[in-house]
Amino acid sequence: MKIKTKPYKNGVKDFTNAVMSLPSRFTDVAKAPDVKPASPTEFNVNKIACSLHPKTQKLVIEKIEDLSEGFKCYTLKAENGKAAYFRAGQYLAFQIKAGSSFCTRAYSIASSPKDALNGIYKIAVKRVDDGFVSGFIIDNWKEGDTVVSYAPEGTFVYEPLRDAKTVIGIAGGSGITPFLSLAKAIDERTENFNLTLLYGARTVKDLAFKDELDRIAEANGNFKVVYVLSEGRQKGFEHGFIVAELIKKYAPSSGDYSIFACGPEAMYAFLGKEVEALGLRRKFVRFEMQGVSKSTPKKAGLTDETCKLTVIDRGNKCEIEARCDETVLTALEKAGIAVPVRCRSGECGFCRSKLLSGEVYIDDGTDYRRLADIQFGYIHPCCTFPKGDITIRIN
Amino acid sequence: MSKKYDVIVIGAGNGGLVAAAKCAHAGKKTLLVERHNLPGGSATSFVRGRFEFEASLHELCGIGPFTEGGRELKKIFDELGVSEKIEWTALDEAFRMITINDEKNVDYTLPTTRKAFIDRVEEYSPGSREKCEKLFDIIEEANAGLDYLGTIQNFSTDIFKKIFGTYSDFINSAGYTVNEVFDALDLPQAARDCFGGYWLYLGTPLDEESFMHYFTMFKSYIIDGPVIPKTRSHGISTAILERFEELGGEAWMNTAVKKIIVKNGIARGVELDSGEIIECDCVISNASPYNMYTKLIDSADIPKYQLKKLNSVKLAPKGFSMFLGLDKSAEELGIDNHSYFIYDTTDTARQSQLTRSRAANNMQAAVCLNRGVPGCSPEGTCILYITSLFTGDDAWNDITEENYVSAKREFADRAIANFEKATGTRIRDSIEEIEIATPVTYARYLDAPNGTIYGFENTGSYGIVQRVATDALGKKIGRLYYGGGYGTKSLGFSPSYTTGYEAAVAALKNLEKEAAKQ
Repeated sequence: MKIKTKPYKNGVKDFTNAVMSLPSRFTDVAKAPDVKPASPTEFNVNKIACSLHPKTQKLVIEKIEDLSEGFKCYTLKAENGKAAYFRAGQYLAFQIKAGSSFCTRAYSIASSPKDALNGIYKIAVKRVDDGFVSGFIIDNWKEGDTVVSYAPEGTFVYEPLRDAKTVIGIAGGSGITPFLSLAKAIDERTENFNLTLLYGARTVKDLAFKDELDRIAEANGNFKVVYVLSEGRQKGFEHGFIVAELIKKYAPSSGDYSIFACGPEAMYAFLGKEVEALGLRRKFVRFEMQGVSKSTPKKAGLTDETCKLTVIDRGNKCEIEARCDETVLTALEKAGIAVPVRCRSGECGFCRSKLLSGEVYIDDGTDYRRLADIQFGYIHPCCTFPKGDITIRIN
Repeated sequence: MSKKYDVIVIGAGNGGLVAAAKCAHAGKKTLLVERHNLPGGSATSFVRGRFEFEASLHELCGIGPFTEGGRELKKIFDELGVSEKIEWTALDEAFRMITINDEKNVDYTLPTTRKAFIDRVEEYSPGSREKCEKLFDIIEEANAGLDYLGTIQNFSTDIFKKIFGTYSDFINSAGYTVNEVFDALDLPQAARDCFGGYWLYLGTPLDEESFMHYFTMFKSYIIDGPVIPKTRSHGISTAILERFEELGGEAWMNTAVKKIIVKNGIARGVELDSGEIIECDCVISNASPYNMYTKLIDSADIPKYQLKKLNSVKLAPKGFSMFLGLDKSAEELGIDNHSYFIYDTTDTARQSQLTRSRAANNMQAAVCLNRGVPGCSPEGTCILYITSLFTGDDAWNDITEENYVSAKREFADRAIANFEKATGTRIRDSIEEIEIATPVTYARYLDAPNGTIYGFENTGSYGIVQRVATDALGKKIGRLYYGGGYGTKSLGFSPSYTTGYEAAVAALKNLEKEAAKQ
């Protein structure tokens, strides 16, 4: 029933309009079908949300290739044929049961977004000296095995509204993988920008994916690759380390470029100062996160003494052992407690937990907590060290 | 069946948080389950680089004016012991409204408080003062009438006399649209534009929007005054959760509910995704009726009337938001205001048509947080949000996995250009961080059907008065209550909190009644 009178003209009739004019509502309800409406999952945007962000994905290891000493490439095929689409530069976090431990590790995707539409991802895993999980994967993952990952995540992506049209990429070690994905995406026209990659390694044989990178550079003028060897001299290669001068040599002389860097901690420690010398605005410098620095415990004066970690999980309490020089997450993983984790670098916030008692150390460099989380004592266990006995609520 | 609770609250959104805190405050053994790793639903924030972005809140109403001890929401927060955990900033400026594609573009900046607002409207629309005063009188009396109506237990002749006497403006306006009342007052166009500036917050054009609905919101912003929390809305969510736990409530994060268990027409518990079944005496759902009836409850247990109700309403507008961390200060960039409404035109019906597609939608609400909370981002930077609405159901139907990123970027680009055009600023060279949320994002995080951010549409036969009068009618599942944005008060921060509170009050009353029977 539509309004039949005019306001301020009709006295009592207005009351009918205001409070009693409900028959149309009753009619509408009476006329409506008594079946379930479309489930939210039937709308297009909800469907896209589900396919871009599945809770987990089962992936079958289709092929394992050696890249160099202790560095392997894994081709994974989605069990149901559908691998979540992603943005070049993003990573997959894997759930890994290693012995009694339950761990999560993030690996940048080396394949292209288009490959995902065919159900394929590639990742590369490098054995880290004191790395527990990388060694486990290299020694245990076999072709035909099924592994479980979360949906692609990560902010190490090219964003034209933010980044310069030319990106100087700086890669070291396994940090080459996101750049390989970005290069492929440029080649496949999924991304549209200029990428000049400075790829550092000790020797030529340490340059994983060299043939593929050369092929893309050959075929596509928007992608260039420069190899920088720290040992020995060879024609056609740069030598030494990736210093400010070298970056300038390959960067546009206009100074209009972004730097994207991905590599091991040692590279970041060195590169940080070199990039600073270039005087770029902060928005033009992006380092892919890579976990808590190994030097953090020492810097914070944390020793290897053990402490008690009390964990509350949906009302259930358990006590495990932790070490003051290892993160709270490491203790949880070692104890086989499944925690929702993705980046392991403090950034994504998936592992956010409540600190109920005890003292902890969080380095400023990995403290990406929200203001209210700091106020109310929440922590990101992946980059938090216990200073003594602590109690946390994880779920 | 391991544990048993008096109350289980599904979802720690605004409604669920307040409902849970209220139940725990009343001494009930309460379990709050939330499928995400943090509380809040829309009331949250996220960190990118050196910026913490608010996810949804522009300004909160129902808290001020502090001089009078605050309104409804502040009283709820006071009662529950939440208020002392949150620091608020009150805003003097209401909004700046700019049109960019009208025959004659407007640029109005409106302050809060009745007097200042009318003085400013008089500047933009000379000679309209008297009519503006009259309109404010109506707004105040209509709101008082609505409040009074809410307190009535049983109608009597005296009460009718009072409604028709003391609150005649309520009677004379509540059944009409905003434009009908403007017409009745013969309000000049410029004044209408000023009073109608907020319409984007509700998303319904003013020729359809109920006068009462719109001016309940208007009053709470202009007369009571808007506030913002210093630590984003995540600060509110975390504060309520903190208080809930202090009161003995139990909160489980990362815990999704698969099913509400109904036996003989009465809600008896929930089944978690893990398969675990938890019993309780009553369930308060912050999951929307839409999701409850399509996903969480077996068909056989749903009263047909509830499905008919659900099928008789439409989904409200769908959301788009862009979050910008800029590497220059608001002063350097020339962003002078906190809250902007940028429209093609002041003709809300035409604007509403334009917002049906990405290609024609130029409407936006932009907020520069630093103008409300100075120091909210590092020195020499500022935070800017740009939000748009999509009416109709089709604006993002062409999206695929592959074209999604470019489609959202294209719209973001357009929104940035519109902001620059309207304000005469240049922001695109200063973007240090950017995130873009679309209906797909709201579908992902809120499980919102078609990515709506406003619940059910507030038009036609389902306006605010009809909601208040008819929502409670019809056969329902026993001991199942709904508290949240898809409810009687429609969607928004303040209504969601208060609806959650009311759901808890109803649940507690029922528990008491049941206890008395035994």
